[in-house]
Amino acid sequence: MLRHKNIEYDEDELYSDEGEDYAEEGGYTQEDKDNFATLTPVVRAELDEAGVPTTAKQIEDALWHYYWDVGKSVAYLKNSRTPREGKQEAKKEEKPKSKFEQAAEKADEVPFMTSRTAEWFKGVPWTNVPCEMIGQIVPAEPEPPRIKLLGGSSKLAKLAEERRKKAAAAAQPAQPSETDSASSLDRLTKPKDVKENVAPVPKAEPKKYAIRRKRSPTPPPKAPTPPPEEPKEQLPSLRSSPSAFGRALSSSSGQTNGTRQMALQDLLGSSYSSSPFEGPSPDDAVIQKAKAQQASNGLAKKTEALKIESTPAAPSQPKVRSKGLDVASLWNEEKSKRKASAAFVVIGHVDHGKSTLMGRLLLDTGAVSQRDIDKYKKQATELGKASFALAWVMDTGSEERERGVTVDIAQHYFSTDNVDFTILDAPGHRDFVPNMIGGASMADLAVLVVDANQLESGMKGQTREHILLAHAVGLQKLVVAVNKLDSTTPAWDQEIFRSVSAEVLKLLKQTGFTEENVAVIPCSGLSGENVAKAPAASSGAAWVSKEHPTLLQQLEKFAPHLTSIDTVKKPLRLQIADVFRGGITNPLSIAGRIKSGNVQVGDSVTIQPSGETATIKGIEVSGEGRDWTVSDDIPTLHLVDIEPQHLRSGDVVCSSQKPVKVVKNITAKVQALDSLLPQRVDIHVGRLHVPGGISHLVATEDARGETLKKKPRIVKAGQRAVIRLALDDGVPLEDGDRIVLRTDGSTIAAGRIEAISL
Amino acid sequence: MKLIKQNIERKTGAGSATLLPEEPEDMWHAYNLIRPTDLLRASAVRKVITETVSSRSSERVHMNLTIRVTKLDFDSQAGQLHVSGQVAEENKHVKLGSFHTLDLELHRNFTLEKADGWDSVALDTLKEAIDQDAKAQLWAVVMQEGLANICLITEHQTILRQRIEVNLPKKRAGSSDHDKAVQRFYQTTFDSLLRQIDLADPKPLLLASPGFTASSFQQFIKTQAATGTNKQLQQLVPKITVAHSASGHLHSLSEVLSSPAVTSKLSDTKFARETQLMERFFEMMRQDDQRAWYGPKECELAVERGAVGKGGGVLMISNSLFRSQDIQTRKRWVKVVDDVKEEGGEVRVLSSMHESGKKLEGLGGIAAILTYPIEDLDEAVDDDGGQDLEDDINGQEPANGIEGRRGAYEEEIEI
Repeated sequence: MLRHKNIEYDEDELYSDEGEDYAEEGGYTQEDKDNFATLTPVVRAELDEAGVPTTAKQIEDALWHYYWDVGKSVAYLKNSRTPREGKQEAKKEEKPKSKFEQAAEKADEVPFMTSRTAEWFKGVPWTNVPCEMIGQIVPAEPEPPRIKLLGGSSKLAKLAEERRKKAAAAAQPAQPSETDSASSLDRLTKPKDVKENVAPVPKAEPKKYAIRRKRSPTPPPKAPTPPPEEPKEQLPSLRSSPSAFGRALSSSSGQTNGTRQMALQDLLGSSYSSSPFEGPSPDDAVIQKAKAQQASNGLAKKTEALKIESTPAAPSQPKVRSKGLDVASLWNEEKSKRKASAAFVVIGHVDHGKSTLMGRLLLDTGAVSQRDIDKYKKQATELGKASFALAWVMDTGSEERERGVTVDIAQHYFSTDNVDFTILDAPGHRDFVPNMIGGASMADLAVLVVDANQLESGMKGQTREHILLAHAVGLQKLVVAVNKLDSTTPAWDQEIFRSVSAEVLKLLKQTGFTEENVAVIPCSGLSGENVAKAPAASSGAAWVSKEHPTLLQQLEKFAPHLTSIDTVKKPLRLQIADVFRGGITNPLSIAGRIKSGNVQVGDSVTIQPSGETATIKGIEVSGEGRDWTVSDDIPTLHLVDIEPQHLRSGDVVCSSQKPVKVVKNITAKVQALDSLLPQRVDIHVGRLHVPGGISHLVATEDARGETLKKKPRIVKAGQRAVIRLALDDGVPLEDGDRIVLRTDGSTIAAGRIEAISL
Repeated sequence: MKLIKQNIERKTGAGSATLLPEEPEDMWHAYNLIRPTDLLRASAVRKVITETVSSRSSERVHMNLTIRVTKLDFDSQAGQLHVSGQVAEENKHVKLGSFHTLDLELHRNFTLEKADGWDSVALDTLKEAIDQDAKAQLWAVVMQEGLANICLITEHQTILRQRIEVNLPKKRAGSSDHDKAVQRFYQTTFDSLLRQIDLADPKPLLLASPGFTASSFQQFIKTQAATGTNKQLQQLVPKITVAHSASGHLHSLSEVLSSPAVTSKLSDTKFARETQLMERFFEMMRQDDQRAWYGPKECELAVERGAVGKGGGVLMISNSLFRSQDIQTRKRWVKVVDDVKEEGGEVRVLSSMHESGKKLEGLGGIAAILTYPIEDLDEAVDDDGGQDLEDDINGQEPANGIEGRRGAYEEEIEI
């Protein structure tokens, strides 16, 4: 990255030079004229003082050829008035330089050099440059760049002169000052640091190649311009700058390269001894830096972390060191400052408008732009599914869009003033209930979407099953969104709403939800009433705003949930919901909800059931980089030191000190939703979906947990029972995990694990 | 399997049968026929070492060996049966009592003589084995996104040939990784399938999945057949049936095989009948019908009481019970089967290699539909809980195992 940065600036330099050349060829530009206007009087005044008569044309020419250099122009004009001296000087230039001449030249240079460098580096925070960096350049000075064509009037000469000045300017950094500036240099209003310009100095050849040299090492990918003030971050660029190709080019110029290179090395100072490939690759550095910027305090530490590793044998993957933070106490300290966050799963029967409602919510909260929606609308119309446009925010899969059915959980983020929300949009179709279980197990609360027009279909179907499952995975708060009220007959009929909500509430109560944790909100996802905005008072939905908050307000009300410090301090448990390629820099990333414990960058974790260890390279929560994360977050973890085949969704990431056990037999206390026999079942624990069988019906129990019958022949629907399960393969499970048993596409039991055994 | 000759006496069951296995399925029958203590005669290759005073030479000698069976080892994947035992007939190369393992081979005769005579179950198995009717076979791919089980369903077995498990990244905005991974998954499954099936003589292919996976995969095969150079593939396409299953796990196959869409295509094959029977039994259980009972003791008791008899009594028994190493156990179950037959009830021996048989094994390997309801049959069975006790012992062991593992982890960390 840092190399790229250099290149960018080099290019600027280069282009600006060329730009000037063209400008000259085409006559004076406006800028030139301005400069003439300002500088000519100054020159004239000086010449008048010396008593040399000149015309305006002469002055302009002189200024032009000396490139707005008043001092030189004056000198030249004075000499041109006394012709012999001028000739002598010109001749001298051709001869090998004597000590005297060099001295004179220097004397000549230095005064206006300062003014030029000042322009050149205007606005640069020089103060951040370590003094030894600046100091070391001086020894490289004794042999200044050879000036071949000083005083000549050709453009080449001028260009050479300019290069020389730049080089010198770089060698002699000065405090920025507010002198009038040359227009071309103004383009570099924010040169980052002296070092970038220092690097070319030792090889300052008055040729363009000198600059191209630096461009060649890598193709110039455009990286986002980094902020200027990060002096430490730039070390890697310095290390890597003298590439082999670059050296070859520069040595071919026949310059006194040996000394130059020495100077460069001196310049690079301490860092030269280390390998250029040590530490993270430039790309990694970018990522790390991006994260560091986001994590306000992380920058300095991060840079340190980057520098720690300095073994000459460069490892292919950068080792990530843990900072050894006490995450639990950090979390505790920051707890009060942090915004509340909540993840909610959107459940309900298929085609009741879950995805569309969420698309609407994202649009109205500004998480998705109207432009995107318009784009989707256009594409959806082409497929003849215009009303699916909002759902397409969630349904990104090609198959989902073609068929208009959500298949898998979609995860999105949005923020209100008070709460950061994570949406988990679950599929409603019965075939994808396993995915819904996975999503619900990651949520803090649920939004049940019910189509006001088609309550019956849902009550027989997945509205009922999803309510049962939401309760089974441990969700307690639930918002019922009575959807599609705009398309009832008549629209926004209060009666329909009442009867629908009464029926749903009845079912919720039966299932075990308490009244204070349930809220019913009338809304319309497609038209957007009462989702994020209250409906207009004039519309038929006016009654809504009197009695009910908007869906968003209700969600905010339910959002706060407590994560206890004990949970944070427990050993890490995270069930993998997804394994994917996070990008070029993060070839292996996982996502999932942290059930308990905490994790920080650099931690070594164990993946069960494979038992492999991995190192956390980076953590992202809601798309933002973090140094650590704690339970109840849904982070994305970037992993290194592990092969992807050891990771599957449903696996558990756990602390290496206390890994979760891999078990094959479990005893569970379940609520039967259908009759249970010793039979084959699909066992769901969050994202985990494994085949197994009920091996024994141990006992049935009554509501108080007392045994009704030992070894029952059958467990009937509605009974509570202790059963023993045998799994086909070992899976990572723990006491207290919530399990769901399904067979033939319907849920037959749900409960908790009581005991595990291998 | 061909019956070459037999001299079994009807009354005592004494005698022997010579059989010629012709296809891998026959090995399964042989596995169910041959029991420990039986006498088995088959061709064998044995390395014979001859030692003289001056030299020692070994040569491989083909011979027919008769062994008294001690152990059977059936490899369902390869369709091979290895029978270990002690040599029972001496010849000039092999001493009596020395050990040998016979590998039964296709197209080579073997002769089986039962130690205690051929019982009814053994005779039924033999009858079934030598049934020369064309046998239904089909391939099935039970799949869900990221998981595919390729299996061959024959009359008597469901053989899982290959399992493909791929981790698919979930959908995420602005990334086509999921779609690409799904295509790769289809390609892998397709390639594996082609390696398994014989395209020259394609059998029906059943694709089952929740959601659209199966139909998408069918589409994938069609595309491959249309664009690829493999002409034979086009013959496969019309033989594909797409069905719905609740999940991609193999046990969902029973649901598939009992669905009307599939049974209509499969005609009246044994496994379809078995599956339907099990469905019926489970349905009765769900309705808490007191005529449906499962479990060894309960069923034995019901048979004793004559409840599994004429007029709808059905005994379902897994053939794994007859494969018991313990002769007494086998005799016990043969007696139960004979009793039911005497009563006029129906006996269905379910293959433990089929999903329906596996379901039955979950119920203890035996279940019965009675002719009249018996209440609280299980209470008449005294609780000895032998099975449970065993499990409890198992339950305690793992703790130590995990301790050991944990130690291993710690070591890794230190490194």
